[in-house]
Amino acid sequence: MGDKLKQIINKQNMQTAEEIDHSEDIIQLVGFVIGEEEYAVPILTIQEIIKPISWTRVPQTPAYILGVFNLRGSVIPLIDLRVKFGLGAKNHNEETRFFVLKQGDDVAGFVIDRLTMAIRIKQSDIGPAPDTIDSDESMIEGVGKQDDRILTILKVNKLLERDF
Amino acid sequence: MDEFQEILQDFLIESFELIEQLDQDLVELESTPEDLELLNGIFRVAHTVKGASSFLNFDVLTHLTHHMEDVLNKARHGDLVITADIMDVILESVDLMKALLETIRDTSADAGIDVSSCVKKLDKCSGGTGDVESPVVPAPEPVVEKESEVENNSDDEDELDYENMDADEIEAEIERLLKSRQDEDKARREAKIAAGEPVLEAPSEDTEEKKDEPKETPAPKPVPTAPVKKVEPKKAEAKAAAPVKKAPAPVEQTIRVDVKRLDHLMNLIGELVLAKNRLIKINDDVEERYEGEEFLEELNQVVSIVSLVTTDLQIAVMKTRMLPIGKVFNKFPRMIRDLTRELNKQIELDISGEDTELDKSIVEVIGDPLVHIIRNSCDHGIEMPADRVALGKEELGTIKLKAYNEGNAIVIQIDDDGKGLDAEMLKNKSLEKGIITEKEADAMSDKEAFGLIFKPGFSTAEQVTNVSGRGVGMDVVKTNIEKLNGIIDIESEIGVGTSLKLKIPLTLAIIQALLVGVQEEHYAIPLASVLETVRISQDEIYTVENRSVMRLRSEVLSLVHIGDIFEVERILDSSEHAYVVVLGLGSSKLGLIVDTLIGQEEIVIKSLGEYLKGIEGVAGATIRGDGGVTLIVDVAALMEMARGVKASVVSEGNSNLLISNEKNKASDYTIMIVDDSKTDRMIMRKALEPLGVTLIEANDGQEALNVLKSGNHNFDAMLIDIEMPRMDGYSLAGEIKKYNKYKNLPLIAVTSRTGKSDRMRGVESGMVEYITKPYSSDYLSSVVQRNVNFKSEFL
Repeated sequence: MGDKLKQIINKQNMQTAEEIDHSEDIIQLVGFVIGEEEYAVPILTIQEIIKPISWTRVPQTPAYILGVFNLRGSVIPLIDLRVKFGLGAKNHNEETRFFVLKQGDDVAGFVIDRLTMAIRIKQSDIGPAPDTIDSDESMIEGVGKQDDRILTILKVNKLLERDF
Repeated sequence: MDEFQEILQDFLIESFELIEQLDQDLVELESTPEDLELLNGIFRVAHTVKGASSFLNFDVLTHLTHHMEDVLNKARHGDLVITADIMDVILESVDLMKALLETIRDTSADAGIDVSSCVKKLDKCSGGTGDVESPVVPAPEPVVEKESEVENNSDDEDELDYENMDADEIEAEIERLLKSRQDEDKARREAKIAAGEPVLEAPSEDTEEKKDEPKETPAPKPVPTAPVKKVEPKKAEAKAAAPVKKAPAPVEQTIRVDVKRLDHLMNLIGELVLAKNRLIKINDDVEERYEGEEFLEELNQVVSIVSLVTTDLQIAVMKTRMLPIGKVFNKFPRMIRDLTRELNKQIELDISGEDTELDKSIVEVIGDPLVHIIRNSCDHGIEMPADRVALGKEELGTIKLKAYNEGNAIVIQIDDDGKGLDAEMLKNKSLEKGIITEKEADAMSDKEAFGLIFKPGFSTAEQVTNVSGRGVGMDVVKTNIEKLNGIIDIESEIGVGTSLKLKIPLTLAIIQALLVGVQEEHYAIPLASVLETVRISQDEIYTVENRSVMRLRSEVLSLVHIGDIFEVERILDSSEHAYVVVLGLGSSKLGLIVDTLIGQEEIVIKSLGEYLKGIEGVAGATIRGDGGVTLIVDVAALMEMARGVKASVVSEGNSNLLISNEKNKASDYTIMIVDDSKTDRMIMRKALEPLGVTLIEANDGQEALNVLKSGNHNFDAMLIDIEMPRMDGYSLAGEIKKYNKYKNLPLIAVTSRTGKSDRMRGVESGMVEYITKPYSSDYLSSVVQRNVNFKSEFL
């Protein structure tokens, strides 16, 4: 009796494990463009995406930190990913968006040039970051291939980590 | 289990409250060992804790408190005189009791702390052999008794006709019944004592004294003009049922509320204050726009009611978070006592104003700084008794600790009558330790020298003692107080004493601030640190040794431009007048030069978050009425930063970046057309298109300014209509001319206004040409060509 029960439980466990595996296989990302390249972050790390609003400069910070802005009563830092990625600053236009990313208690807004789309991608289609990049220091989680395009998937915790 | 947890929580809260009081009482007891009232109070605490803990099965705690109780009981009956040594043992046991309660709070069990040695000591004090026995559970006798009595009483008094009484009469009757019952209780107890029954029941003597009063004034008979309601029936009953508690206290109607709920409430109020600020701003805008309209008055009324209620609400919530500072002060008598024994000094602590209330969060952090300051006063301030006598002072040194309200702040003042601070000695010590340079030392006033004690690494103690001399402490005091936006002020006289004043705002979340502008940015300065503001002209600023200074009345004030500290780009032309905000923090002063003063506003402090925290000079941010974010200046940090800033106030960075004006083709010329009429813009466009220049259009002044500011184009000239919505041509010209960069940009008015005064205004606002509609395309084209130095070869 006891053995039988165990067997059934084991079987059920395996089934649920498989189901999880199955759902884990597909990753949902949101793609965006900075400069010429397309990047993506996991959809669940995005708190919201808003059109540019005014911000306040904060002194004594690196150039890529534009300042802080007011998101419905919260003061949130604003980071220009163009500058952070070594491209020159560009004036905001119709397509510019603020990406508000959140992980745990860390929240920050990121300026991106253009949104592309929500992407579903298989885990197996994501390769590791190029070997030439030190994996601990890198902001790159991996490189996703889909059809003919290449997506750089960014580490959200690295993006939200203060590095000055 | 849940029920048990609930009881446990209540037990812990009650016990901690009792112990807090206990410390103070014990120290007081030592000076007046004869005070029976006090002794009874202390005994009661031990007894209460013992009773409750035995009920909750905390054997160790019960065991300990039982022995404490024994000793105190003996003392209470005069069988034992409380000497300093016995007091040491009692205090030790109180400490253990605290530790046990803390363990219980964390683990729900009282294991892990060894009390046996302390118990043995206690036992010896009470004359025992030190042999340790299992704890005794107090008999719940009294309670049972009371219950049976209630019935008795009601039987006796049944004949009264309650039906026909009015409320007042009934109240009086209840009071009468209660009193008669209390008298009965008392009689019983006395009988018991007379019979030599072992008295476990705590408050016998104490309650007797208090209960004498009702006896002397016999219970009033029910009469129509009933006496004032004094004791609420419920409270009185509870008291009767639990004779361990202190007898008749004034009715206190309180509920315990989770702090989190209050914090949440405070946050919501914060949001409300922001919304109120916004509403006020909108109201001002609307007022300007629809002047004289009838609905304005109504709107005004609503806005003022909302703002009034919000302010009241804010104060009300603030008050709910207030705690008396006595909570912190309570632990000091004990501390002073321990220190005096340790240091062999005689020190008396005089506490006043312990009822002064402070925000809970401040009360929590103010404790440590005060401990440091008082320790310091004991160790460095008060001299040894022999020295004091030699100096002709009383042997007993005094430290006065007092708290009082001053405006929107609370002041905590710590005075000692010790040896005072020696400015020269402080300077020398700091020089030795390399904290300051020789030059700085020479320039230092006495007050600034006193401030040296707050420098990290500073210590005047010749040797490191248990109490102080490690060089940490006072700088912690300073950081902690400044974190609370507080100010420290020291006054001292050699041989007479030292007085330290801590001035702390009542609340942390919402403060009054002075808003200032520099170029296009705004900053908020906590008003508590602003001494005054003065308007000066540039030639009042002098440079001394590469630093800007000004003369403020009889003082010389060093100056720093806020723009230099916050790296503000100088895009606007500075006017010849500037404002100086005089900042004061403790003994140091600094003049902060700003471009404009915007006004005073109530601001809600928000954190910049994890990512941006710790930025020098910025204490946080606030959200303004217009929804924008304004940074709050950290005055203490700013003063530090100001030392590093060299004078650039006078040497205006006027080196304009020359825009590359090289024109290689006609389309290199860019001209902006500003007009609200599409037809007019079309006419101008038609006139200029043949030249091949680049044309950018804007609908009104505001839009034109935004286009200009975005910096996407380098304009060579602007054609501006005068009458436009949002911002008219004159204002636009005025705004443009504020920018250094656009000083020489030709502005051409194109308008149907032909009056001479209009022309005059155009010139005043900086227009170079004035074209009146209608005009011929050729004329417009030629005026533009002339103003942009159009090269003829492109035609």
